[in-house]
Amino acid sequence: MNDRVCVVGIGVVEAKDPMVDVSHKEMLFYATRHALDDAGLERKDIGSAITTSFDFLEGRSLSNQFTLDSIGGVMKPCDLRLGEDGIYSLFAGYMEVMSDPSQVVVVASVQKASERDPDGLSYQKLIADSMEPVFSRPVCKSVPNLLGLEPVLAAMEARAFMDRTGLSEEDLAEVAVKNLNMDKGTKGSGPDKKTVLKSDMLSWPIRTMTKAKEADAACAIILASENRAKDLQNEPVFVSGIGWCSDKSHLAFREQGVSRETKWAARQAYKMAGIRRPDREIDLAEVSDWYAHRELLHCEALGLCGSDEIKGCVADKSFQKEGRLPVNVSGGLLGRGNAVGTSGLIRVAQIVRQIRGQANGFQVPGVGVGLAHSWGGIPTATAGVAVLSKW
Amino acid sequence: MPKRVAIVGVGMQKYEFRKERTVEEMVFDVTRNALEDSHLSKDDIDSVVFGSAVDAFCGINNSDKVAIDASGGLLKPTMRNSTSGSTAISTPILGYTHVASGMHDLVMVICYEKMSENDSAQAVFNTVYDEAYVRPIGLNVPIQCGLEARAYLHKYGITERQMAKVSVKNRGNALSNPYAQLPMKLTVEDVLASPYLSWPVKLLDTSPVTDGARALILASEDVARELTDDPVWIKGVGRGADSVYFMGRKNKDLGRLDYAYLAAKQAYDMAGIRNPMAEIDYAEVYDPFTYKEMQHCEAMGLCPEGGAGRMIDEGISLKEGPLPVNASGGLQGEGNPIGAGMSRLCWCYLQAKGQAGACQVPKDVNNAVANGWGGMYQYNAVMVIGRD
Repeated sequence: MNDRVCVVGIGVVEAKDPMVDVSHKEMLFYATRHALDDAGLERKDIGSAITTSFDFLEGRSLSNQFTLDSIGGVMKPCDLRLGEDGIYSLFAGYMEVMSDPSQVVVVASVQKASERDPDGLSYQKLIADSMEPVFSRPVCKSVPNLLGLEPVLAAMEARAFMDRTGLSEEDLAEVAVKNLNMDKGTKGSGPDKKTVLKSDMLSWPIRTMTKAKEADAACAIILASENRAKDLQNEPVFVSGIGWCSDKSHLAFREQGVSRETKWAARQAYKMAGIRRPDREIDLAEVSDWYAHRELLHCEALGLCGSDEIKGCVADKSFQKEGRLPVNVSGGLLGRGNAVGTSGLIRVAQIVRQIRGQANGFQVPGVGVGLAHSWGGIPTATAGVAVLSKW
Repeated sequence: MPKRVAIVGVGMQKYEFRKERTVEEMVFDVTRNALEDSHLSKDDIDSVVFGSAVDAFCGINNSDKVAIDASGGLLKPTMRNSTSGSTAISTPILGYTHVASGMHDLVMVICYEKMSENDSAQAVFNTVYDEAYVRPIGLNVPIQCGLEARAYLHKYGITERQMAKVSVKNRGNALSNPYAQLPMKLTVEDVLASPYLSWPVKLLDTSPVTDGARALILASEDVARELTDDPVWIKGVGRGADSVYFMGRKNKDLGRLDYAYLAAKQAYDMAGIRNPMAEIDYAEVYDPFTYKEMQHCEAMGLCPEGGAGRMIDEGISLKEGPLPVNASGGLQGEGNPIGAGMSRLCWCYLQAKGQAGACQVPKDVNNAVANGWGGMYQYNAVMVIGRD
């Protein structure tokens, strides 16, 4: 097939500490600059620019429109703004390139969580505001001070998942330890299981250390058709499958402890990429680990392990860096921090680094096919899956 | 090569202020209407594209997620586009890329907006601006557009009387539109006598605050030919955006919409239209303010640059005129639910199909153009549709 879409440049700006000296527009500018340098392109080469963000998270209406100048989208032939998770911009960019293969498309997302009030209450208000207003929201608003609304909702699905699969709190702590230590680079220097299990309980079994902390980050990715990519400096990484899906966002009607949206999104992506046995054909995965239990839940839904194998996979360290199928070797959201709405795109960038062999301390040898997954977070049930490959 | 894309169905609904339907119910209504119109069931639809401008209007974060069940998009790919007013056309363009790229065959495009669930739509509009420099001075849509209108009128010698004629035309056209919120029989003097909101923009030069939704179904060529003998094709799409800071525009001129000319050129190039004045049979342009219809007619090439005043004076854009513009009533007469301005495209489709009822223009419509304007007052999206 001639018209395939490739990632030709990536740029990521991220930090776990608040980035106080740069605005979100500057963060995105630097990310785009890095991506253009990485691809060996200039601003004039950009054909289309796509940004994503959520208005309520930004405290600004039309927040996605606001970053247009930062990504070189001014007076360009076409652009789009999505109110979706970052990884969706990759999907829109993919379709943009397929509709007009001469295009070079920049897709980008930024999140500056540190601009929200630091006690965490603002995010809980956002969760309540995301609820369906007639039936669900009044119930959620009755959680005292709204503090802990998100952990309460997460705990419900965690409990349902643990009941179904027989996972214990120790297993969840194991996942958290894996991801927290990945980020430390050298093994064993981060917190151990005991520390995780002693961390503050938010809502059983969700603890402060089994929930990803918010972080500031920006990410830009440059897409081009295979033909266009031939002339560029980097070895292209192909986007071989994409899929996205949403389940009910009404809490009352949703099946707890499963991720149907991930399963269906993965089904589309695998079909496109021609993958029949994801557990064997995928070399490396970056999945959403917003909560520790969510990593395992998503691995199951993505078909990286069977429902009855999850407990075994934790025990035999299958998802560790040296294991059968490394998951979140970058540290994931738990290790790197969760830039809500941008992390999905950063997962894609991490996979591209691994396939190119540029992941430095995190590199897994011989990655040919990688999977990036993003989940929209409570209370939405939205997932995006991208399969990237070297060939 | 991109696939050809056709519009195969449309879902309409009455535009109202304080509509007594929730977001979900509005989405449900137009979805069902569109499915009935195209004789499809919700299981036939491959994916759903939502368009809604500002979540703060209805007070629901990610309001599209709440409406997923109602749209028939459950466990299907759904994506939400948001570019303020131009969501009207940029959302169908996103739907177009879904089909043109070969990802999906049948795509439901739903635009909705519930603007009346807040204290003041203009207070919400203030939150689109830069929080450090612009927001504190209390800028909102009429004020910003007053500045723009002044620059435009000055640059091309357009008069307030000519602006008023657009209001009379559009609100008059809306009398025959069953979905319209504000049909009125007006005279130019009525409009000129209405109070100024922000000079030179008067109350009757503006569009109302509206709740409403619209749906369209897009299909790939193979599917469209099975569904209908006379498909209406999407022939050209175009988008253009200037800097979000209006102080930072490239041409330093608020009166000329460089980005709209850019968007129109792309769409016409793609559609193979060289002389829009002769080749376009019908237009629905974005008219939140009367002067905006005039600016957009120029940018869409429906009259020479600066010639929009003469166009309305000579009655060219009247319903019976040689190039009818907004025979449905436009945003002025039909109502302006920001993101759901996709109605412009729906009416182009209905006119091309000959199904526009009392709004039908007395001429054959082969090629029609619709545009949407929005973003931070700097984004334009254009779509050219037509029959074979």
